[in-house]
Amino acid sequence: MTRLVEVPTQFDDRSFDQFASAFAEAAKDGERLLFDAHAAEWASPYGLVGLLAAGQAARGTGGGGGGGAGGSAERPLLTAPTHADVLTYWTRAGFFREAAELFEIHGKVPRVKAAEESDVLLPVTPVRAAEDVHAVVSNIQRRASAILASELGLDPKATMGFAMALSEACQNIVEHAGTGGWVAVQAYHWRRKLAKRVVVIAVADAGVGFRHSLEPTQSKRFGTRWGDAAALEAALIQGVSRFRDPGRGQGLAGIRRYLARWDGKIAIRSGTARIAIVPKWDDDVPLKDGLPAFPGAQVLIIIPEQGSTKP
Amino acid sequence: MIQHIDVHAVLQESVSGVYTDLVTRPTGRVVRECIERAMATAAGDGAVARIDFAGVGCIDYSCADEIVAKLLRSRPGVLVLTGISDGHREAIEPVLAGHRLAVLIERPDGTLEAVGAPHAAAALLEELVARRLAARTPGGTLTLT
Repeated sequence: MTRLVEVPTQFDDRSFDQFASAFAEAAKDGERLLFDAHAAEWASPYGLVGLLAAGQAARGTGGGGGGGAGGSAERPLLTAPTHADVLTYWTRAGFFREAAELFEIHGKVPRVKAAEESDVLLPVTPVRAAEDVHAVVSNIQRRASAILASELGLDPKATMGFAMALSEACQNIVEHAGTGGWVAVQAYHWRRKLAKRVVVIAVADAGVGFRHSLEPTQSKRFGTRWGDAAALEAALIQGVSRFRDPGRGQGLAGIRRYLARWDGKIAIRSGTARIAIVPKWDDDVPLKDGLPAFPGAQVLIIIPEQGSTKP
Repeated sequence: MIQHIDVHAVLQESVSGVYTDLVTRPTGRVVRECIERAMATAAGDGAVARIDFAGVGCIDYSCADEIVAKLLRSRPGVLVLTGISDGHREAIEPVLAGHRLAVLIERPDGTLEAVGAPHAAAALLEELVARRLAARTPGGTLTLT
């Protein structure tokens, strides 16, 4: 039997909980999953890497049909968007190149290359090891400098800070997830919220998540409060790490400093919780708990065009 | 004698001949261990090592911690960083401040500046003068002797 997971027509961080809920419901009995994206009209980088993480989880936990941990030969199904523009964009964003390994894809995928020069500053890119982070940082500096400076009005010096933030976000996968993940970076005009251009970094994996990673060193300190929300709070707000080395925990702290300087936002979802550092221009909530469970961690970083950012 | 260590060359030889960025903990660890081996061959506790970052692209916080902070904690001699860009400083300064450490940066004109935690930076400059490793110029700035 195949269980259906509907991909939201507008698939971004706001609709992700709806997707996670459908995923959790469909995956609970270990049947093969069908991710239905045929009606998709738009997906943010966060939606695209999140969908890959779901595919990774569906294979890794037996949702591929064979049952049992360790995955199955039978991959989950994915129906591709039917709208030609959407299909072309998902392809240019590098989604299908990665999805082909995870899903049995139904629908005609166009043969276009992942974007070289466009608003897709970094196509969906796998992150499995430190070498991948080197490649990501090198690529983003080559491709993003001009857009960050000319279109977002960031000081040219900020480009290196952007690369640093991206590096640290990717390293969370390498060091903590226990599996691979994906990153994507895109610039676009964000009409709904800001009426400005923004650059968005999205990172997702279906690994062990923050709670599991920090549990051995932090759970006693939090006592009965310990859970996904407490783990996210410990990592992002208190800068703790699972490593006892006093220099650890610098990565997320550094990202926060960078975003404070450029009026940016970070949100991290892991397990059943989501935490955000919310700038004035946004109305997100700082901490949400009791969300539909979703494996691993999903990170969203938004840097707005500089100038007045009215809420 | 002042030992000179070219970080870009160390990175190219030890980790990657392709990338110029100091990113990720594993990269930082390998580069630091190479620097430590090179410094071990230099003379005694009072040795000055000039660590040159020219040609290095991005340094992330993890590498700033893994290389600069850990060298400062383990190394009894004096470290002087050169070839430091504004972007490099953006990673190094807060990491050192978090550890209550400071390091010397040599500007292109040869003058010295201590960056990191303010108390540690002031103490570092005082120590340098007391040990006659640096002297004040008529303009009031410090240079290595």
